Amino acid sequence: MGTVHARSLDPLPMRGPELGVQPDDIEAPEIEHEPKQEVLENKNVVVQQVHIDGLGRTKEDLLTYEIKEVFRAKNLIDVMRKSHEARQKLLRLGIFRKVEVVIDTSRGEGALPNGLDVTFEVTELRRMTGSYNTMVGNNEGSMVLGLKLPNVLGRAEKMTFQFSYGTKETSYGLSFFKPQPGNFERNITLNMYKVTGQFPWSSLRETDRGISGELSFPLWKTSQTLKWEGVWRELGCLARTASFAVREESGHSLKSSLSHSMVIDTRNSSILPRKGGLLKIHQELAGYTGGDASFLKEDFEIQLNKTLFWDSVLSTSLWGGLLLPIGDKPTSIADRFYLGGPTSIRGFSMYSLGPQSEGDYLGGEGYWAGGVHLYTPLPFRPGKGGFGDLFRTHFFLNAGNLCNLNYGEGPKAHLKKLAECIRWSYGIGLVLRLGNIARLELNYCIPMGVQSGDRICDGFQFGAGIRFL
Amino acid sequence: MSLAAEAFVSQMAAAEPWPESATLYQPLKEDQILLSDCASSLAVQAYLRMCGLPVQVVCKSNAEYMSPSGKIPFIHVGNQVVSELGPIVQFTKAKGNSLSDGLDDVQRAEMKAYMELVNNMLLTAELYIQWCDDATAAEISRPRYSSPYSWPLSNILAYQKQWEVRRKMNAIGWGGKTLEQVYEDVTQCCQALSQRLGTQPFFFNKQPTELDALVFGHLFTILTTRLTSTELAERIKSYSNLLSFCRRIEQTYFEDKSS
Repeated sequence: MGTVHARSLDPLPMRGPELGVQPDDIEAPEIEHEPKQEVLENKNVVVQQVHIDGLGRTKEDLLTYEIKEVFRAKNLIDVMRKSHEARQKLLRLGIFRKVEVVIDTSRGEGALPNGLDVTFEVTELRRMTGSYNTMVGNNEGSMVLGLKLPNVLGRAEKMTFQFSYGTKETSYGLSFFKPQPGNFERNITLNMYKVTGQFPWSSLRETDRGISGELSFPLWKTSQTLKWEGVWRELGCLARTASFAVREESGHSLKSSLSHSMVIDTRNSSILPRKGGLLKIHQELAGYTGGDASFLKEDFEIQLNKTLFWDSVLSTSLWGGLLLPIGDKPTSIADRFYLGGPTSIRGFSMYSLGPQSEGDYLGGEGYWAGGVHLYTPLPFRPGKGGFGDLFRTHFFLNAGNLCNLNYGEGPKAHLKKLAECIRWSYGIGLVLRLGNIARLELNYCIPMGVQSGDRICDGFQFGAGIRFL
Repeated sequence: MSLAAEAFVSQMAAAEPWPESATLYQPLKEDQILLSDCASSLAVQAYLRMCGLPVQVVCKSNAEYMSPSGKIPFIHVGNQVVSELGPIVQFTKAKGNSLSDGLDDVQRAEMKAYMELVNNMLLTAELYIQWCDDATAAEISRPRYSSPYSWPLSNILAYQKQWEVRRKMNAIGWGGKTLEQVYEDVTQCCQALSQRLGTQPFFFNKQPTELDALVFGHLFTILTTRLTSTELAERIKSYSNLLSFCRRIEQTYFEDKSS
């Protein structure tokens, strides 16, 4: 009888966008060559058995959640669609290299005339995968070793270890990820890390050693994350010439914080989206679960995109945040907000605006930043449909402010303070998208509203990053 | 900044007069500071008072990490930050204040030798007793050292410090010493100092030098600090000229100014 192979479908990227597969797409061509042709499309069928071949260390109970829908299928098209969905679900678990689906008529004892067997032929990922990179940046070269153990306990748990050995600093991180069986979006992550960062704009060097636990789950259209984090932070001066204000912040502190974040993302792509919006709200409460640092931090990000004429996209975004110290202790330089640079307010140097002391930027307790961009394809569209589509030209207008707030003054005074001495800039530039994760920008910027102490970058500015205003 | 530029900046700083706002930083006096840090801080304070340079003492729980060398104490003068007695003496000299200018080369060499003796014997003995004597470390040093921090950071930092000092002791060959041997070293050091002092008011006759400040800082702190045992103070108390030396410096430079 006719055997239908669903393997003609391209292997899907593990977390790629859902391919809207129509029943027409998977109508099997092979049936037509069979001598005894039979139209199965509208016939009622029963899925009698589902096999999964090729399992090694994966526990079967995990997979039953992912494939149970296949049993509910009532006709062949339904079987195909459900099998395809199950295949996608299996691939999303990140534990299989390859999943193929074979649908055949039932055989053997108890086989019904309209019974079908579905077989998933899977190839598991290796027990351990490794990677090796070298990185150069921040006046430092480093070597990054990564180890990944997918499916470490057999239920799609993932363990990753990253070790970075640099000419100046060594960092490492160990993380453990476990999804709830049958509900991949609901998962927990445990982390342990040591990260050292050098921040030349503040003449500051920070070493964080921490542990954190995170719970993510979807709720209605949002994705929610609850997190506890305990970090031992060690701050020090980057050079002897660091300002005394930074020197005073040196030493050890312990931060224990609970945080919650909520994201609604309806954009079609996170880099250079054409439509949709993003709302991100993050709040962090430190000090109630121990530690030396006590504060409440609120942070939000909004982005809206709209396609206009000739493939051009109008994108507007607004960021804002507040940091309220709890108790008498002032906020730490490590918790405050920083603004400026090619990824936020263009035309200013990286994190080089707002409160400063002897040329070292100390960050602020309140900020807002907004941007309007008009993205257009390259003029005359060279390389259309290929390489040229990775590029966009953009016109931008950025504005924002960062300052310290004296919490005795009341909300009206704060708003007034944030509306005073607004820094803004405008310009034109070229954007290059790198995969679906990062983008590069080369802009000609004209900074305006510069206050004394701000460091500007008048003219061409290059930027690379993941998150852009 | 290049070395030449740095040298130029310090030269420029040297040309400026001593400001009224000069500050000396040390750990919290009541709850945190340990014997050895207290002694070093007192030595610098005594030195600056002998020079007649006013300095305001500020207690900060993170003083050790603020210091450019990681050692207590350090002074903040103008926009310069200098830590420890040796560099501070150099720094004041560049500003035109020196106590050892009247000495000839032989005396200066002798002074340096005695200062080395104090640093190698008394300071090391203080560190040994603080961190290598288990009773003192458990009852005094670790709780005091970690007092500004919350658990578990307090434990981590205290044990990290203890481990660091013990490693240093092993490196200089003190790791295998017993407490009794350390007391014996202190006695020998005091013996040498007592003999050098003799019946003079200061180590080099009538004028105090940085050696006097250093010896005063250590001896006075040992005599006035409560430890798990009084043995260390007892060893010093048997040298009456050292005791009267401490009293004399305290009266001349500390009492009249505080009253």
